Amino acid sequence: MSSGLLYAATGCVIFALGLGGVMLLDHLLRRILAFNLMGSGAFLVLVGLAQRDGTPDPVPQAMVLTGIVVAVAATALALTLARRWHALTGRDEIGAAGKQRGPDD
Amino acid sequence: MNLALAFDVLLAAALLWSAWRTLSTAQIDRAVVMFIVFGLLLTLAWARLAAPDIALAEAAIGAGLTGALLLDGLAALKRTDARRPARRTAGKVMVRIAVISVLGLLAGTLVTALISLPPAPIRLPAAVAGDLANSGVSHPVTAVLLNFRGYDTLLEVAVLLLALVGMLAVGLPPAHPGISRNSMLPTLARYALPLMVLAAVYLLWAGAHRPGGAFQAAAVLAAGGVLLNLSRLQAHWLPASRAPRLAIAGGFLLFLAIAAALLAHGGLLRYPPEQAGLLIVLIESGLTVSLAVNLAAFFLLRSTPENGQIPPATAPRESP
Amino acid sequence: MTDTFFVPLVWLILLPLLWATLAFMRGPDRGGRLAIAGLAAQLALASVLAGDIAVHGPRNHVVGGWPEPLGIALVADGLSAVMLLLTQGVTLVLAIYARSYFKPGASPWFWPLAGFLVAGMNALFLSGDLFNLYVTLELVGLAAVGLVAAGGTAEQIAAALRYLLATLVGSGAYLFGVALLYGSYGTVSASLLGELVGNDAPLAVWLAGGLMLGGLLLKTALFPLHFWLPPAHGGAPAPVSALLSALVVKASFFLILRLWLGPFASLAPQIAWLPALLGASAILWGSWMAIKTDRLKMLVAYSTVAQIGYLFLIFPLLGSGKLALQAGVLHVVAHGLAKAAMFIAAGTLIKISGNERVLGVTGTADRLPVTVFAFALAGVSLMGLPPSGGFLAKWLLISTALAQGQVWIAGVAIGGGLLAAVYVFRVLRLAFRFSTAGDTIPPARPAAQLEWTAFALAAASIALGLFAMPVVSLLEGVAP
Repeated sequence: MSSGLLYAATGCVIFALGLGGVMLLDHLLRRILAFNLMGSGAFLVLVGLAQRDGTPDPVPQAMVLTGIVVAVAATALALTLARRWHALTGRDEIGAAGKQRGPDD
Repeated sequence: MNLALAFDVLLAAALLWSAWRTLSTAQIDRAVVMFIVFGLLLTLAWARLAAPDIALAEAAIGAGLTGALLLDGLAALKRTDARRPARRTAGKVMVRIAVISVLGLLAGTLVTALISLPPAPIRLPAAVAGDLANSGVSHPVTAVLLNFRGYDTLLEVAVLLLALVGMLAVGLPPAHPGISRNSMLPTLARYALPLMVLAAVYLLWAGAHRPGGAFQAAAVLAAGGVLLNLSRLQAHWLPASRAPRLAIAGGFLLFLAIAAALLAHGGLLRYPPEQAGLLIVLIESGLTVSLAVNLAAFFLLRSTPENGQIPPATAPRESP
Repeated sequence: MTDTFFVPLVWLILLPLLWATLAFMRGPDRGGRLAIAGLAAQLALASVLAGDIAVHGPRNHVVGGWPEPLGIALVADGLSAVMLLLTQGVTLVLAIYARSYFKPGASPWFWPLAGFLVAGMNALFLSGDLFNLYVTLELVGLAAVGLVAAGGTAEQIAAALRYLLATLVGSGAYLFGVALLYGSYGTVSASLLGELVGNDAPLAVWLAGGLMLGGLLLKTALFPLHFWLPPAHGGAPAPVSALLSALVVKASFFLILRLWLGPFASLAPQIAWLPALLGASAILWGSWMAIKTDRLKMLVAYSTVAQIGYLFLIFPLLGSGKLALQAGVLHVVAHGLAKAAMFIAAGTLIKISGNERVLGVTGTADRLPVTVFAFALAGVSLMGLPPSGGFLAKWLLISTALAQGQVWIAGVAIGGGLLAAVYVFRVLRLAFRFSTAGDTIPPARPAAQLEWTAFALAAASIALGLFAMPVVSLLEGVAP
């Protein structure tokens, strides 16, 4: 197994961990961390898989750079929302997704 | 070769461990710290994958700036989710087991699929190398980012700007007090800042020939801005203040203008080969300033001005 | 030189980016007139582009002069043209509505957010590169979240948070799929992948398809991944709800169609039953919740959950002939127009009566005749009654389903129409009732823009039934 493939495989597991974290954790900050893990996992696969034969490939590297910037933008927005939520309600979770319906249901 | 692979295996294991600990630690401030550790390990992984541009960006943006935002958010949100619900119903436990099993299966299937993947029919590194001479820069990643796939970069800058507008729309948190005046930090900041500016300029200039570029330079400048703010040498920005908005919009508008002007010469972002280098430097300079202010604004833009007082360490800063 | 400058499809992306940034620079509560001027120009550009495509076929623009797979290609075919026309048209009308709807300070950053939303959607409809599409998805998603949260109430913040997490998971899964595809083939160009992906695709490609489809289904809120939609669409301010239900969910549906008909065309037919099954469940569940709920905007939001189900009924039928695709696209357009009309009509009703509950519309028919009539017309299209656009879409769907022996799809479509009638008439019955508790509606009439914009959109959804031929002919070149 080449190093590229090794990191790509690691990326798969990290992605799955992150996905599980967003779905199963309650605290908003943890879910934001989990979503960032998802992104990092995808980036590792993007570069690692493309470079599995050992040749550096600038195209997925540029894509990952773009992805990192997009991720920080999303994180900043998510944190602002979480802090606003906390300021309004004192809570740091929004309740299990599957159970939330409209307020009158 | 074996030693390198052994290192990679160790690093991969460390990545997995820190990712797992980020999600499973009981104390949430430890979770944030573990995430920053994860980011630094990831920087090493990028270096091992011959991706120094990403390593720079991951260190500066992924671990650095995101880490600062998370720690600041941590201060506001509760520190522990102490009320870990012991009252999980059987149904919820079943759902959790099901989700975890499915995800485990997914991860396993993915790894299997990756191992058995045949070589790809198209190889782009050769195409990039072939057209590099006409791209205006000599570093392949910069060529892809600003020329071959410059349209992605255009939209990505828009995303960054949009996130800031979104934050304004949601409502910004109040200003934080910064570090005590008696600390070393302001002195450190005064010495560090010129070096950071120098580093940023170097990164911007170097990006044409070697790893570096506008994003990394902007991240270093933004970090400098955050440092200044924390040591109370630079006040918070208010939503209504025009100067940051103009600075952020300026670089993006320059990029848009050049992209549109090039339409007249054949197509969107179609640089004439002789002028490509110059235009790319121009765009990157504008972007460095603009992105630096944008990234710094994620931290510095607050709803209230700093009141100049140093509150006691444990006083809550959020008003309900 | 000048005709390389005037390329409508490029300006459809650059123009909204420009006015959104200018609106941001001008500051809070500014940018409305700029937005309306920009949108009007964009509508003209979209019309020119559509006309061009109708005559000359699909248009391409190779960004930077670098052909694929090195560079990014912009592609405009009949499907893009229809979506672009729908987006610019509906957003323009909604912008006129929003200018009158929002009191100063109610949503100070609405205009830049809306501008980035439209820019992102236009870019999405025109992109031929799968990674570029990821960036456009994020542009649309973050803008939509910002718009939902802008009202500032705790309920809206919670809805925005849920929406944000869902949309980030969706695009994260999509990105992972793109990573797998690049690793497998060495390119992310949709057209090249269409040629490379065959029946013998490796497992990684199947997983990529599954992840991308799953992520996009989450963004399109198909049952059972719809949990984030009712709070977001039902709780946001009316113009935002209209934008989200009419346009934003259709953007990710468009992408599903593109992937289904493009790169994954050889793999997709084997799982076509799944979206159809989920679509049928969406129709039943969404209609049921709309019938039960006692808040007006929540009713309209659940109706969206149900109507989205119709879009997925076409997937098993896409293989033979063009009728199924026409049915789906007509439904997208008809629902877009009707749902936007319904949301802003509901917004006006709530604004004037001060009451968010369904019961609050009691007796409004004589005070707000135009608005109630708009709601009724929109309901006609949603129910699928002739001669509306909704009827035409359903009729195409039913006839192609029967022709291909999928009787159950026809049955679900008809049943869905009946269920829609129940919740639409729930509202209309109350609206036309004499209010027995005295005149609870204040005598002030709403601004003309609030009433007539809703009417215009609703009338358009009916007119679509009569004048659908141009839309259908635009789709001629799109491969099913």
